Amino acid sequence: MDPRSVLFSHPDPYDIKGTDKVFVRAMRECCIYHYKHCGVYRDILDAEGFDPYGIKTPSDIARLPFLPTVFLKRHRIYSMPQYRMPIKATSSGTGGVYSRIGFDTQGLLCGLQMVLKVFGMRGIVSPQPCNYVILGYKPHKGNHTAIAKTAYGYTLLTPAVSRTFALRFTDGEYKPDLEGVARAVVRNSRSPFPTRFIGFPAYTWFMLRLMDEKGMNVKLPKGSKIMLGGGWKQFYKEQVDKTEMYALAKKVLDIDEENIIESYGAAEHPILYCDCKNHHFHIPVYSRVIIRDVNTLKPLRYGQPGLVNLITPMVYGTPIQSIVTDDLGVIHRAEECGCGINSPYLEIIGRAGFTDVKTCAAGAEEILKNAGGDVK
Amino acid sequence: MILYGGKLYPTEKQSELLERLEMRINHTLIYGRLERETVLSALDSLAERIAIGEFDTLIAAVAPDDVWKYKQAAVTAMKRENLELRLSVELPDSIIAGRTGCLIHSVRPLGTLFHIAAGNAEGLPAMSVLEGLVTGNVNILKLPSADSGLTIRILTELIKAAPELAEYLYVFDTPSSDIEAMRKMADMADGIVVWGGETAIRAVRNLAPAGVKLIEWGHRLGFAYISGYTDEKAELSALAKHIAETGQLLCSSCQTIYIDTYDTGALDVFAAKFLPLLERAAETYLHTDIGAAAQLSVKRYCGRLEASAGLSPRKGRLTFYGSNCSLTVCRDSTPELSDMYANVLVKRLPAKHILPILRRKKGELQTAGLICSPEKRDELTEMLLRSGVNRVMTAGDMSASFTGEAHDGEYPLRRYIRNTDTEIL
Repeated sequence: MDPRSVLFSHPDPYDIKGTDKVFVRAMRECCIYHYKHCGVYRDILDAEGFDPYGIKTPSDIARLPFLPTVFLKRHRIYSMPQYRMPIKATSSGTGGVYSRIGFDTQGLLCGLQMVLKVFGMRGIVSPQPCNYVILGYKPHKGNHTAIAKTAYGYTLLTPAVSRTFALRFTDGEYKPDLEGVARAVVRNSRSPFPTRFIGFPAYTWFMLRLMDEKGMNVKLPKGSKIMLGGGWKQFYKEQVDKTEMYALAKKVLDIDEENIIESYGAAEHPILYCDCKNHHFHIPVYSRVIIRDVNTLKPLRYGQPGLVNLITPMVYGTPIQSIVTDDLGVIHRAEECGCGINSPYLEIIGRAGFTDVKTCAAGAEEILKNAGGDVK
Repeated sequence: MILYGGKLYPTEKQSELLERLEMRINHTLIYGRLERETVLSALDSLAERIAIGEFDTLIAAVAPDDVWKYKQAAVTAMKRENLELRLSVELPDSIIAGRTGCLIHSVRPLGTLFHIAAGNAEGLPAMSVLEGLVTGNVNILKLPSADSGLTIRILTELIKAAPELAEYLYVFDTPSSDIEAMRKMADMADGIVVWGGETAIRAVRNLAPAGVKLIEWGHRLGFAYISGYTDEKAELSALAKHIAETGQLLCSSCQTIYIDTYDTGALDVFAAKFLPLLERAAETYLHTDIGAAAQLSVKRYCGRLEASAGLSPRKGRLTFYGSNCSLTVCRDSTPELSDMYANVLVKRLPAKHILPILRRKKGELQTAGLICSPEKRDELTEMLLRSGVNRVMTAGDMSASFTGEAHDGEYPLRRYIRNTDTEIL
């Protein structure tokens, strides 16, 4: 079996130490593949003086040139002809620019194994039918975002009794319909089957608040869950403390904290990070995470904040085996969590960007705004 | 928060207060007697209190790293001797009073000034109002959305020192989107003082009634010009320090370094020589905000990858990357904005071409930092001034401020007054 398949069929999804060797081998094969098949990637590796055939240890992987997501947003690059990539997913494109990632068939099969294993450990895969409330996009043929595809995919983890979408595509654009969602939740509370909420934390929070303000407090059947993912996006500033959201979910829906499950991932790094019972994102065996110094881009140690470099050999369609996102994060040792999962965990602490820029240089405002910052 | 007639009101009171404002201002214009001395001594005593540290905690809350800098700037702007110096330079007796034939010349305030201040420097809204007060105007101020509360605090203290100023100060925290309120304020004004970028200025032009005087303080570009050296090492180090220290965010900051040469190879040589100096300076003034530092590093790194893969969006540019800084050697010569934060453009500009090239950005230029051999200094200064540059400084002092200097080619106080003539019988 090729090393990627070995890695993705490893029985324990958090056995980092036990998979180090196969991870390095899978990365080596993946890098060599992209080096051979993607001219842009080859130019970059050559210019940076990196030889993919020389990947032998984890420290070689740390030296591998990574691609920032902004690079992938500006340049669509593939290592396979289009027909060999059954799925192409785009990032949700905060700020209007998005990347487009191609997935190969075997990579998708690896992904499926991963989802079943990681969610399996959290009791999410089950034969119990559920009502689904998707606090995100209703898929339609013009929407290729990874988040819409993933959210829909999650409704297949159990048999679905019903599906309600918060963002509906009407008159050529997506419109949120939280009131409709709230009504559906009340309806679901009378169903014998549990309800599962899937979607952006911001919309979930808005829904909970709306229901609370209207006094629509319900008791959902046991086994109901809230699955959060996709980050706060444009609602970044309205981000609330997790405990506040947990408390409101208990009050409005009667869902306990342990049934609120958050996941982290990106179109450019399609690995499923699912939080543990202490709500920490432990790193699964399918990826490695390096936190990099914001000035020097050199790897940092545990506990030091920096840019998040996400590494995985899962995808052969687009060279995304080592990417850097806009997130800022910290890696903590497994023992700091205490949930029993023996893998370090990633904490997201913010985003790269300007929060407090003051300028009077002509034209600077526009440039900084486009760069994603707020200009005073 | 609204400051109105010396009292503080909540934002919700805005329309009610605006309704009565015209009547109130007219009353002040008819009966008010604001002696310049009152303003000067109120400002001077406030400067004194700032100097001894009474407001340190307040300033620290807004700009923790720059308390000293802001304090110094406020004291300099408000001290009596400096204000008197400014008045004597900007409004000397010779231009404001006198007699020609049967005409008596005198100076009056413009009347009511409506200040629309940008938040790009803490304290700027207050400084704008201060200039309006010194010239005897009634001042309506629209705070920038990001105002920290410092402005109202300063102005309230000023009113405490001289209660008669209450009728000359009206501060509203109206958002720029409240066009109706802004229009009402504009209708009451004789002059609109607007600070900001092109978008802000254009919006105000749409808002202003015909006949109102527009006083625009727009954003500008700065650059350095190098034609030989007097003390190469010291001059280049001073330039590097200036670039890193201001983050290239100011109108006076150096965006482009021009070299007096035809030879593009000379630009590469310069970049290789200057990069280590810039690196050292950038190291000293690293961005304290981790998010901003991260974004800058990723942007630089991404640029490097794009260059390696032949994907650079702008051809004909070669970037030299240093840690936390970069120098981009360009083939063209047009003045432009850099990526800022110690990411500088390097271009060639032979002395003969200074004027035609710089004229392409006429009206946008502000400061030139001139580095050259002593014998060329006068000639090059003259050429830069002829090209539309308003300040020619040594490279290290590009963003230094001097009491009595003009602002973007004009004396601000002169823009806030009217010259009047009266025929005597």
